[in-house]
Parts: sequence; C-alpha cells; structure tokens
Amino acid sequence: MNLTVGYLYGDCMNIYGDTGNIICLTKRAQWRGIEVKVKNLSIGDKLKSKEVDVFFFGGGQDLAQNEVALDLQTTSKGKVIKAEVERGVPLLSICGGYQLLGYYYQPQNGPKLPGIELFPVFTQASSERMIGNIIINSQFGELVGFENHSGKTFLKKQATPLGKVVKGFGNNGEDKTEGCIYKNAIGCYMHGSLLPKNPALADWLIQRALEVKYQKPIELNYLNDSLEKQAHESVVSRFG
Amino acid sequence: MRLVLAILVGKLIAFLTKLFKIGGGSAAPGLYALKIYPNLVEKLAAQIPQTVIITGTNGKTTTSKMLSSFAKNANLNVLRNPTGSNLERGVASALISHSNFLAEIKNIDLAIWELDEAAFNNIAIKLDPQIIVFLNIFRDQLDRYGEIDSVLKNWSKTLESLPKSTIIFTNGDDQNTLKLSKNFTGLSFKFGVKDYKIVGEAIKKQFEQENLDFEAKNIKQQGLNGLSFDLSINHQTSTIHLPVPGIYHIYDALAALAVGYQLNLNVSEMIKSLKTYQPAFGRFEKFSLTPQGWEAKSQNMEGYIFLIKNPAGATQVFQTIAKEIKSNDHLLLALNDNLADGTDVSWIWDSQFELLTNTTTFVCSGTRARDLAVRLKYAGVALDNIKIEADLKHAFKLAKKDLAGRLFILSTYTAMLELQKILANSGVKKNYWEGV
Repeated sequence: MNLTVGYLYGDCMNIYGDTGNIICLTKRAQWRGIEVKVKNLSIGDKLKSKEVDVFFFGGGQDLAQNEVALDLQTTSKGKVIKAEVERGVPLLSICGGYQLLGYYYQPQNGPKLPGIELFPVFTQASSERMIGNIIINSQFGELVGFENHSGKTFLKKQATPLGKVVKGFGNNGEDKTEGCIYKNAIGCYMHGSLLPKNPALADWLIQRALEVKYQKPIELNYLNDSLEKQAHESVVSRFG
Repeated sequence: MRLVLAILVGKLIAFLTKLFKIGGGSAAPGLYALKIYPNLVEKLAAQIPQTVIITGTNGKTTTSKMLSSFAKNANLNVLRNPTGSNLERGVASALISHSNFLAEIKNIDLAIWELDEAAFNNIAIKLDPQIIVFLNIFRDQLDRYGEIDSVLKNWSKTLESLPKSTIIFTNGDDQNTLKLSKNFTGLSFKFGVKDYKIVGEAIKKQFEQENLDFEAKNIKQQGLNGLSFDLSINHQTSTIHLPVPGIYHIYDALAALAVGYQLNLNVSEMIKSLKTYQPAFGRFEKFSLTPQGWEAKSQNMEGYIFLIKNPAGATQVFQTIAKEIKSNDHLLLALNDNLADGTDVSWIWDSQFELLTNTTTFVCSGTRARDLAVRLKYAGVALDNIKIEADLKHAFKLAKKDLAGRLFILSTYTAMLELQKILANSGVKKNYWEGV
C-alpha cells in the first residue's frame, strides 16, 4: 500500500514544530510497510481530486497567512479540499490552518480574511495571547499539546468540537471547547507537535486515508508506543 | 539625589547577593534601582564614550565576547552585560556595578551590550549606541519574541528612532537582516561567508550573493579542532584561525572583527587573539574530567558542551558535530521547559535530530526528557540506544557509565546552568557567574 500526504503550504506555514506531524504520519506508516510520499502544496500549485490521501495544514506567520488565504480562493485549492473532505479524505489542520478552513478570520484592524467554510467556525483576533500546555478529552481519548494563539475561534450551532478542555484555553478561552471535527477533518490549536504524543490520532488519520483510498476496511498493525505514552503522560502529570 | 540613592541601593543589593551567594546578582540590583530612578540607564549610559549593541537570535554572546577581548587587548576598559541578563534590569545592574557612588562612570572606554530580539526595542535608544550589529533572525521562543516578520518590523521601527549617525553592521547572508540594511539611510556594512546563505534553519551553500564588505573566503574546517578562513580588510588579506568549529562561528568572528576595525583596533592583533579564543558559556566549551577515586579508570574523560535553544542553533550544532561523533562517544541531551528555556518544546521537531543518528548512546534528560526520546525515535534512532533519566545528576552519571570515548552535552539554558554545577561538583567547571 502507499499513501500521499499533502502538506498544505508546508514551505510557509510551518511554525511551532508542526512539521513533527508530517514526520509522525510518515514514520508510523513506514513502520507498517506502507510507502509514503509527502507532497508540498504551495502558493500557485494546483490540486486535483485523488492526488492526496491525507492533508496536513499547519500554522504560519501573519504575512504568510494573508497570501495563503488568497491562494486558497484563487487556485481553487479551497474548493478541491472541501470536495475531498466530503469524500472522506482525512485532514488535520492546526492554528492558522484551522482558522483559514473556517468561515473567516477577523483581524484587529483590516478587512476579514475569508476562509473556505469547511469548518462551521469563525475566528476573531484578540489582544489576549493564549499560551501554554493544553489537555483535552476527545473521541480519540485524552489529547495533549501546546497552544499559542491570540485568535478566538467560535463554533457555529451545527459545529462539533474536537473535544472539551481539561487544561488550557482551547478555541476561545471561554466555552471550554477545543477544535472542530467535520467528517474526517480536524481543526485545532494544538502544537507540540500534536501527533507524536497522541499516536492514536495519527493512526486514525492513516487508517481513514487508506480506507478511503482502497475502499475497504483497514486494520493497522500494532506498534509499540511506550515512549509516546510516557511523553504524553509526562505532560499530563506536569500540567494536568 | 534620587539617582545617587538608586545606585547606593543597587550596590548594596549586589553586595548582599554576592555575600549570601544568591545567584549571580545580575538582575536584582538593577530591578530595585530602577524603581527608585527609572531613567537610570540613560543617565549612566550617556557617560560612556563608545557603545556597541549586538542583537540577533544566535551568536550574541560569542560576538560580544570576541569583541570584548579585542578591546581589552588594546588596553581599553570594557563594560559588558553578563549572558542572559539583557532585560533593562540586567543592563542597569551592569551599569551600577561600574558607577561610583556619585553616579559617575569614569573608567569605561567601551560598552558592549548584547540585547535579545525583544529587549533591543525597549532599551536601544536609552543606551545611545554608535554601532549596532544585527547577527541574524531565526525562529526562537515564539511565546516571547513573536514571529520573524514582527521582529523585523519592530527592529526597523527602532532603527528609525535612532540618530542618523548610527552605524549598522548586518549579516549579508541572512535575508531578514539584509532587508534592514537596504532600508537604512545611514552608514551600513555587510558581513558574510562566500558562497553561503542562511536558508530557513540552516546555513547552506549557494552561489549568488550580495556584495559583502567583510567576506570570509576559503573556509577550511578541521573537525572539532576549529576552522580557518581568509578575510580581506582594507585590501589586506589574512588567514584567520578559530579554535571552535561550525560555520556559524565565522559570522560571529566577522561581526566582531568588522566592529573592531570600525573602532580603530589593530587588525593583526585582533586576528592573533582569535587563535586562542575561549568559547563563552556553553558555546562549544571543552572539558576534561579526572575520574574520582571509586571509578577505576585511568584516562580522563573528555567532552564538549553546547547550548541549544532553537531550531537554527540546534541544527547548526548537529551539523558541526555529526561528522565527528564516533561509536564510542555518548550524547547527553537535556530539554527543560522553564521560562528561560521557552515553555514550548515544539521546536525540537523543527531541529534536525536526524543528523545525529550515527550516535549509539543517547541519554535524554530534563523536565521534557520524554519528548526528546520520542523525537529521537522518529528521527530514526534505535530504541535500544535511547536512555531516559529526567534527573540531570543521575543522567550525567548514566552518560559517564561505560564511556570509552567522549561525552557530548547538548542542553537548553536552565538545564545547562544545573549541568555546569554538576560538572563543577565533579571537579571541572567554574560556576557560571565567576567569569564572563
């Protein structure tokens, strides 16, 4: 089997160690004998249906974020990503990536940055910086990460949060929700990197990607995750 | 009068912290003195004839240490702020310690201030500098400094507020600092390394380049023993020997030499003194440790200490040591997540630990030892080669165990402070505040 990871704007949206998620997806697939190709989808690049089996979209600097928002609209990558998610293709987006997949991002001054309306959420800039280790409960169990954002994201009525905040700020520091999940697409504020310390989530993304690609139920081989679990637990015991 | 009182209080606190050995006394004196007299820094700094500020993500301490040794060799009296205390209070403490009780600084010829990316904007104008060095901008502690774009924007703003007579020295191989010199209307000089460019987190070979005013050529690397390069100053080419490895050290040396030249220091004297340069705290420090009685070993243990704190710095250290590590060497990695380290440890995923996979013994330590272990696993290190011991003292012991080669210690800031103490107690290193 083989898998193509689509790294959305990997060359300009990769701060806070989000690349660790790509490393994690790649290794965990390779350790199971699945071939992996990482495809960087940058500004100006075109995207076709079935070109990518799982998407990753990280956070970026403000300047890059403006260009990326525009590119999602003008190259029709936004439309393709939405259609792929409808088809069940899994996606993980973090921080800036998550914000641009919502309805819009409203900066403190200046016009709204339109999102692609994949997640029924919207984000407003605030002057409060929400920084620190974060722990949430989700359908994937307990997840740990590190958040660093001033944007406050609010869920619309029809939105399902990724999880409930146990420690930290989450979407907006107000309603105890963190992230959003729609079909097999996830948006959240969890850096850290997220996947290496939450391997069950990494495996879920890989499994879904293969199931959609090969149109059959897939069971992934067992991996020994004792180090990953220790790293996860050490965050919980230090900050939980 | 209030100024005199502030200095008196500052000096008293400095005396007491030294007496009772409560740390290095580099913050508290300034902190309280500033409460009594908020303009203390301006008042005292204005009395110093020459002031140089060095800022950037990596290399500040090394550059400042080199420049300071050049100046001292020329019999100048130099004032420097100690490593890590570059907030206003640290600057104030350093000024107070060189002031007399009448708030006069009489014996200082040159002040060299290393200021981090954020502190630069707050303090530069108060220090009234004639020369500013911009070394580089990399991603570093995003929780404190913010993103690269905003660092650059703030630096430009600060530069605009300074007198037009200010002279700036910028790294011509770093696209970000290069932008600063292009927008600057005053006198500016660029330094860099021929055919190299800083791309993302790494220094890479590249053949299109800016015109550089101070350009290192013919780089010859000699493993861990150091390197040499050629430099033309004032139409005279000399070969410069550095006893520390790593291309990144060339940038620091170039900046120090360029500023020294601007200050009319003797070029050949500066070059001579670099030959015997002693690295700053945790910047490629060598140590040798005589085994204690109960350890039945005949030879001394040798090792190297490196401070790692952000992806660029860490990756550059990895690039430097990767080729040199042998199978009987051990690696002790320490990752803490205290405020001074940066509370976000995500940066380890942007650092190329993949370069180190030849190593056969890793000991992971610090408050986030387990994050390091996971990073190594995903870099491709075999699990049998990874040991975890969060406690630094025990980790040091573990790393020494069965060591037939050398010990490489790579550590974040607060873990480094602790490790230096552990080394000192084993009979090797001085405590960090004894010498700058």
